[in-house]
Amino acid sequence: MNLKERLQKTLSENPFKGFFKKNRLRPPGARGEKQFMELCIRCARCIEVCPYDSIKRADLFEKLQIGTPYIFPEDRACYLCMKCPEVCPTGALDNKLFEPEKVNIGKAVISQEDCLNFIYFKEEETGKITGKAMICSTCYNVCPFTDEAIVMEKYILPVITEKCVGCGICVEKCPVKTTDGKAVNVVPTGMGNEKDAGYYYRRSKILKSDPQKYKDILKGDKLIEKKQNISTFGEKKQFKYDFEINTSIEGWEMNED
Amino acid sequence: MKIKTIRRSVQIAVFLGMFIVPVLNILEIYFIKGTFYSIDIGSIAMADPLAILQAVVASKMFTYSMFASLVIPVLLVLIFGRIWCSFMCPYYLVTEMIDSIKKKLKIKTKKTEYSDHLTVKTNMFRLGFLLFGLFVMGISGIPLLNLISAPGVISSQALVLVKFGYVTFEMAFIITLIVLEFFYYKFWCRYFCPTGSFLSLIGLKRLLKVEKVNENCSMCLSCIKTCPMAINPMKDGSSVACNNCGDCVDICPDNKKTPTLKFKI
Repeated sequence: MNLKERLQKTLSENPFKGFFKKNRLRPPGARGEKQFMELCIRCARCIEVCPYDSIKRADLFEKLQIGTPYIFPEDRACYLCMKCPEVCPTGALDNKLFEPEKVNIGKAVISQEDCLNFIYFKEEETGKITGKAMICSTCYNVCPFTDEAIVMEKYILPVITEKCVGCGICVEKCPVKTTDGKAVNVVPTGMGNEKDAGYYYRRSKILKSDPQKYKDILKGDKLIEKKQNISTFGEKKQFKYDFEINTSIEGWEMNED
Repeated sequence: MKIKTIRRSVQIAVFLGMFIVPVLNILEIYFIKGTFYSIDIGSIAMADPLAILQAVVASKMFTYSMFASLVIPVLLVLIFGRIWCSFMCPYYLVTEMIDSIKKKLKIKTKKTEYSDHLTVKTNMFRLGFLLFGLFVMGISGIPLLNLISAPGVISSQALVLVKFGYVTFEMAFIITLIVLEFFYYKFWCRYFCPTGSFLSLIGLKRLLKVEKVNENCSMCLSCIKTCPMAINPMKDGSSVACNNCGDCVDICPDNKKTPTLKFKI
């Protein structure tokens, strides 16, 4: 990292507010990370009422966020009892949230290389046997929204849908430990990632980085000129089906009346 | 009955409560929940006014629940002054314990002598530190002063200790303060504590004050010697530094004959 990037990182981003890591979640009902950090007065009430000991007080490892509540789903996930949102005194957790389905603290992501079910499927397809494979399906079985948040594709491959609330129970119970967490990890809501950034952001970055490479891209007047030359008139290309079309259906007779 | 006995029993009850409340919460009795940053007793919400102020400034939001939790603390301070510090704050109890330990071990630390000049200087320094803290907090954009709020840190660490069996790194701050307390007499309460400074600002025009009622006192100056805030109770009873602890009223020898130094509304 050169000096410019380091300066950009320290000065453009508030080090107090933007600190995201995999498998680190705020309690359910948390507002966006920035607003959460502004509102959280570290009173530890949510930690106190949590009956599952899921919410923990951040220690020195969380650097400047020391004292704020965190869920570490690898140790203990959130069981969505919804006791914590209503006790928050400043509204850092949305006081009016009672439905577990509306929680949105993260999204689980399955690593297809480490997941036992995926390995099993792959081995059955290719015929190579490594001995690691197993039909585990633990994440599917423990998910509080069975067949909604995790669905089984081809009856064997667990796939996470948009209904995932990010409680992390699958992460807690997943038997596969990798160097990078587990075979299924939770990515907290609001985690900044350049890959997830919009198309225009990426395009401008690419253009800035290597303008010579993208000389051919037309802009402004030239682009309009080229677009104007495109005509909708003229001959249309014949479209061919690569199968035969049934003109009539057996048993049906066309009524000419 | 001496004010000090009442004060000490309240202090000890609050200190024990700090450990009992988490136990009750573990048993899923949610009657009292919270720490000294903010606490709910039944449905009565109370919160540290400075913490709420910081949250409001940082987030530019003011919710109804924030206002509701301010009412009782602010009313308490407006009527009784800064009794939070002298009657309830666990850190104040710790400093008093350290003081008595020092007396038993006969460690002598120079207690700052009272002078008019010093009182003004102390008050200016406290307010200056509070403003500086708010300034830094404004730049960072999060309620940063809560990290150095001694009672809040102590109570939240007590909660973590009871619930999980360990303490987090914030405890290092309290340990540092306790070590320094052996060398400097009540320096945190008198010079730095942002919560205390803010409460004393709210209680600038409080109802309950220490006042010298009788003009002809014996001028033994024992009240000045005993005052933990190093002010002159005969004169500065309505000062921002006074926390209405009542030590001077207890010790005044003239009070036995005629009321001389008294709490007055």
